[in-house]
Amino acid sequence: MRSVRVVFVIYLVGIVAGLAYAIALGFGGH
Amino acid sequence: MPVWLKNNGLSIGFGLIFLASLVGQAISGHASVNHDAFLHHGDPISFWHYVTSALFWTDVMENWQSEYLQFTLYIFATVWLLQKGSNESKPLTDAGAESDEQQKLGSYAKPDSPKWARIGGWRTTIYSNSLLLVMGSIWLLSWFAQSITGRVNYNAEQLDHLAAPVSWATYVTTSDFWNRTLQNWQSEFLAVGSMAILTVYLRQRGSPESKPVGEPHDVTGSSG
Repeated sequence: MRSVRVVFVIYLVGIVAGLAYAIALGFGGH
Repeated sequence: MPVWLKNNGLSIGFGLIFLASLVGQAISGHASVNHDAFLHHGDPISFWHYVTSALFWTDVMENWQSEYLQFTLYIFATVWLLQKGSNESKPLTDAGAESDEQQKLGSYAKPDSPKWARIGGWRTTIYSNSLLLVMGSIWLLSWFAQSITGRVNYNAEQLDHLAAPVSWATYVTTSDFWNRTLQNWQSEFLAVGSMAILTVYLRQRGSPESKPVGEPHDVTGSSG
């Protein structure tokens, strides 16, 4: 299950990073 | 094949085709933007400028939000809405949140059940809805991201044409925002409805998304 947990975390971190970047970009107004 | 790859084939496989498609979108989107600039006698932008721009991220977020809405609604709706004969539906007798025994909660939990399924109280309530909460949060955040990056593009276009920029509250009432939103929603809802009804009569041998090939049409919710 360790590798499954790693993939789970990679997915969540990647999604949150994408959302955070897009929201920062939207607020930054570029 | 290494064990870790076999154990995670579905998520790694889809993760890789996601990344490949995202790169493809970036390359073709950049070319498209520069072609448009050429036609309008504007200056081309660099690839890096494009992939860090609101132009690219609005398109990404617009599609993310509709996919996460699709799954959020599907998770939520399939608690109560059923489809006789469909592999995507629970049996017709199981509508609703089901009993603690069916859901293996509290005293019905198994020794290796997740701790928050056993413990009761607010933690079990949260954990009982955690998939919906996370998928729904990603939907709302990506829809919000679409709206604020979309507004940046919208205002750039407005200024290019010597029109006044709009506030966020105004942008979310524009045809641009709703056209981008609804063109994605309609396709998601059609695809979900299709899966619900097509799995009644059609099969794919070996796929858990289908009933077993020999399963009768009127059997509901029986993964193959």
